[in-house]
Amino acid sequence: MTTLRAFTCDDLFKFNNIQAVLNFLLQYGIPFYLQYLAHWPEYFIVAEAPGGELMGYIMGKAEGSVAREEWHGHVTALSVAPEFRRLGLAAKLMEMLEEISERKGGFFVDLFVRVSNQVAVNMYKQLGYSVYRTVIEYYSASNGEPDEDAYDMRKALSSDTEKKSIVPIPHPVRPEDIE
Amino acid sequence: MLRHILVTSNMAARGHVQDPNDRRLRPIYDYLDNGNNKMAIQQADKLLKKHKDLHCAKVLKAIGLQRTGKQDEAFSLAQEVATLEPTDDNSLQALTILYREMHRPELVTKLYEAAVKKVPLSEEYHSHLFMAYARVGEYKKMQQAGMALYKTVPKNPYYFWSVMSLVMQAISAQDDKLAQTMFLPLAERMVEKMVKEGKIEAEAEVQLYFMILERLGKYVEALDMVRGPLGEKLTSELQSRENKCMMMYQRLQLWPECNALSYKLLLKNPDEWQFYLSYFDSLFHLMDKSWSPPNEEEHCVEGPVQTTVAEAVKFVVDRMEEEDKKDSRPLRGPYMACLELIHRLRQRGCPDEEELGDPLELMLQFFGKFGDKPSCITDLKIYLHLLPPEQHTQFKNRLGDLVPLGEVGEDGFGFPGDTKVLQRHLCVCQLSRVLGLQHTLDTEGKLCLITELKAHYHYGLQFGKSCLKTELQFSDTYCLMVAHVYIDLWTETGDENMLWQCLGVLEEGLSYSPSNAQFKLLLLLLFCRLGAFQPVVDLYSSLDAKHVQHDTIGYLLTRYAGSLGQFAAASQSYNFSLRFFHSNQKDTSEYIIQAYKYGAFEKIPEFIAFRTRLNQSLHFAQVRTERMLLDLYTEADITSSLEESVKAMGLCPEEDDIPWDNMRDNRDLTVLFSWDPKDRELTEEHRRLSLEEESVWLKVRSLTLRLLASLALLGHAPSPRNSDKTNENGVSAKSSTLQTLLSQLDLTLQTAAQITEKQTQYPFLGPPSSRLASALSSGSCHCQASALQLSLTLQELETTGLDDSSELQTQICNSFKSLIVQLQELLSRCKGEVLEMKDSRLMTQPSLLETLVFFVEPVVLSGFQEWTGSLQGIVTQALDHVKGQEASLTALKLAALTLGVGHAQTQEECGFTRAAMDKVQTSYLGSLQELGDLLRKRADSLKSLKF
Repeated sequence: MTTLRAFTCDDLFKFNNIQAVLNFLLQYGIPFYLQYLAHWPEYFIVAEAPGGELMGYIMGKAEGSVAREEWHGHVTALSVAPEFRRLGLAAKLMEMLEEISERKGGFFVDLFVRVSNQVAVNMYKQLGYSVYRTVIEYYSASNGEPDEDAYDMRKALSSDTEKKSIVPIPHPVRPEDIE
Repeated sequence: MLRHILVTSNMAARGHVQDPNDRRLRPIYDYLDNGNNKMAIQQADKLLKKHKDLHCAKVLKAIGLQRTGKQDEAFSLAQEVATLEPTDDNSLQALTILYREMHRPELVTKLYEAAVKKVPLSEEYHSHLFMAYARVGEYKKMQQAGMALYKTVPKNPYYFWSVMSLVMQAISAQDDKLAQTMFLPLAERMVEKMVKEGKIEAEAEVQLYFMILERLGKYVEALDMVRGPLGEKLTSELQSRENKCMMMYQRLQLWPECNALSYKLLLKNPDEWQFYLSYFDSLFHLMDKSWSPPNEEEHCVEGPVQTTVAEAVKFVVDRMEEEDKKDSRPLRGPYMACLELIHRLRQRGCPDEEELGDPLELMLQFFGKFGDKPSCITDLKIYLHLLPPEQHTQFKNRLGDLVPLGEVGEDGFGFPGDTKVLQRHLCVCQLSRVLGLQHTLDTEGKLCLITELKAHYHYGLQFGKSCLKTELQFSDTYCLMVAHVYIDLWTETGDENMLWQCLGVLEEGLSYSPSNAQFKLLLLLLFCRLGAFQPVVDLYSSLDAKHVQHDTIGYLLTRYAGSLGQFAAASQSYNFSLRFFHSNQKDTSEYIIQAYKYGAFEKIPEFIAFRTRLNQSLHFAQVRTERMLLDLYTEADITSSLEESVKAMGLCPEEDDIPWDNMRDNRDLTVLFSWDPKDRELTEEHRRLSLEEESVWLKVRSLTLRLLASLALLGHAPSPRNSDKTNENGVSAKSSTLQTLLSQLDLTLQTAAQITEKQTQYPFLGPPSSRLASALSSGSCHCQASALQLSLTLQELETTGLDDSSELQTQICNSFKSLIVQLQELLSRCKGEVLEMKDSRLMTQPSLLETLVFFVEPVVLSGFQEWTGSLQGIVTQALDHVKGQEASLTALKLAALTLGVGHAQTQEECGFTRAAMDKVQTSYLGSLQELGDLLRKRADSLKSLKF
């Protein structure tokens, strides 16, 4: 039981109701949020509890070449506050992002996840995503040193009738080689 | 199109190498990109020797100069090129970047105005001009530039940039009439023209049309538009048309449509909370109007309308049954909707609520289904008022029956076998606290409760053995609740042991769960209340607060930093916040421009409102003021440096830059979890009073600051007796400012006195009280005011001359004596032991530290006048006092304290408590040292004044 609505700048002021890491929902700098709001406002959805607490949000974009059938939806961030987990909220937000990408005629939806984040990887698998490729040292630590590899996970949308877009690439790639 | 906002790092990567000049300039770009400004300047000079007219090289040199701190040189070099009105890409872009780095975006508009005049058919320059105007918010010129652009290149986006600029003129118009009768109608006509000509292309254009109609209050037209063919373009956002229709139905009070649409949407998604609310709202509106459907078949365009409680009850019950039948995870929505409906029926005094069932049973049912989710408490909390108080205990006991704990052990407690049961048990504890059942326990009962919660906490740690450092322990909430019960005991009994144990238990919790923000926040708050600021610095930085959070929770830090005499830490914490606020301006204008580019028109006013909200923030004004005051109090040793400081700060005593009438209180006052019952919660009235109190305190501080600035500038005006003209135009003008400010301060102090009389008490976990009350009761405010008044009189004396001023001299003499008395009294209020051991108990008096700070401020201030031994005497006394305190603090051997007496604390727990005590002791010592240093500096400068 949730109100799902467009994210607004004022929501940035409400992002403290978090027990674990305080900036849990605020990983990025303000420019990053504003950029997404300016460019893909429809892809930025926030979930609010009846008491007004922010439960989580999803932020994404559409990108890629249509001609090469690489036009797709991308999940940039998906966060659910710990106290609102296990309610199916992440799945709901993902479903919405997929629906938006469908309407734009995207061929697939993709996302990156730390290879160590088994909980997230499994959740995405349950939602129909599969590992398309591994990106070496995609994540870096705060000191700029390479930190960890990412899985690039994908789910085909209805435009990709033969599910060509999700056929896994066996060899890992480097971050500079991904689009 | 937007190349001019390319940052320099992209400069080198640009593609066109054909132009030989590009090739020549490239090394300079590279040097600039790599931060090698000196080489860039050299290279530019070399190039300019050969190619005198390569203007861009000059601009790049100017960028290098700007970045090496030679602003003036850079500016005049840039102007050399600018006056030539260049039309080459390289120069224009480089100048744009330079002006932006100089924070002179208005110069970019001049640049492109000239370029457009010379090359009137350039799409690129026209659009640069539009964006340059957008950056400085010149809406009218944007409107014209947009149109000029459209006439040059008839592309839809340009036309609508112009329309949006009209909307912005409407939004920013001081006079709403002008917006409603001129700007918006004009914008509407411009869009209508395109509609009539069938030229509407993009969704963004329809969105903008909707925005205009909405702002004009033309809801019927907006509704028709959304429902009509134009509305078909609204596809990006999910349910975009439905949401817009709903909004219009509500504005137009079209309750049948509102009801039918909510109903439809809920059938599709029975978890969408907002539509339950609109469904119930519309239902009761229709009932109140005794609405009945027209005779035709269809109720309204949205379909069937429900108008009776019976229908609503059936609707909700059906939704719950659907969920019950499902194999997959049930949704909470329908069950919550049932409680919401009962709540609303009861509000209306409608007897039909019984048909939905007994709230107690319904809540038990809800707990049965969702009790193992951490959100259960948040959900049920909203509807606890449906239970009569006499049912509270019964409710708690029945909930307990639903939690299968293991067999009761030696300690008398049974424990959960897995994390789901643990979560349920926790939820019962939380509910019983929210119901006030914990608060009604007597001291003994509360201590027993603590023992029980601690046992559960420690038992539950086993479930989280494999948790990562960034994850929480499943049982953390027990620990936090223990801390809350300790705080209850401390505030009720005044027994400081409760507080020490509370600190201990939180420190222990943090050791098992180092990421828990709530532990940190509560520790932070408690240390602040104890007057121990040192541990707070680390706690706050480990919270890793991000950008907006410096505004929303920064107050936790800045309220206490300066007031406890930790000046270095205070300065650092003000800087944290200020850095964020200053970056905001730059950040937002960039994205306003992007929003134009991508047609996200509705985001443009939103971004501007966001920027305004931050600029008008109470916290921003506070840290701005406190930062400057702190610098003056701590840095300014001798009068000349005070004047320099004031000038460096750009402080102008005549100017008040605080938006008193539009102050935004962005503080998050509920950032600390609380499960207190409703009557102990933070209310709107608390919020209002806290803002009022903080604002008045801010006013006192900002007036003090402006007075100081005014004095500093006045003190070094040319001697009045040498030139009568300066006397008239210079000094006397300034001393009238001083006079005005002083009487404003006086008035503010009167208001302040009225406010403190109210003695507002906030919930413990709510906002801290401002420094206002203690500033007044310590006498510090009046001391400062007297000192400032005295300075003014001294100034007058200087003007009048010593010969004919015997009256003034007597006055000064008297004021001075009375000021010394006031300071003496203030100092006497600082006497006492800030930390002491009594009967194996540790006692604190943090208010002594705060008073000492209040003593130091006016003393520092008083040093500006040419005085005498009596002030020195007081400073020496104060120093002796500080030294004495330091000595007794150092002598205090906390290790000698026997802990755990009377109330069982394990060895480990005692260890954590002891650690907390040590932190407090060290912090006090740190405060005293900083205060001592400041006083010593003051004493030294007083000595030097004697000569």
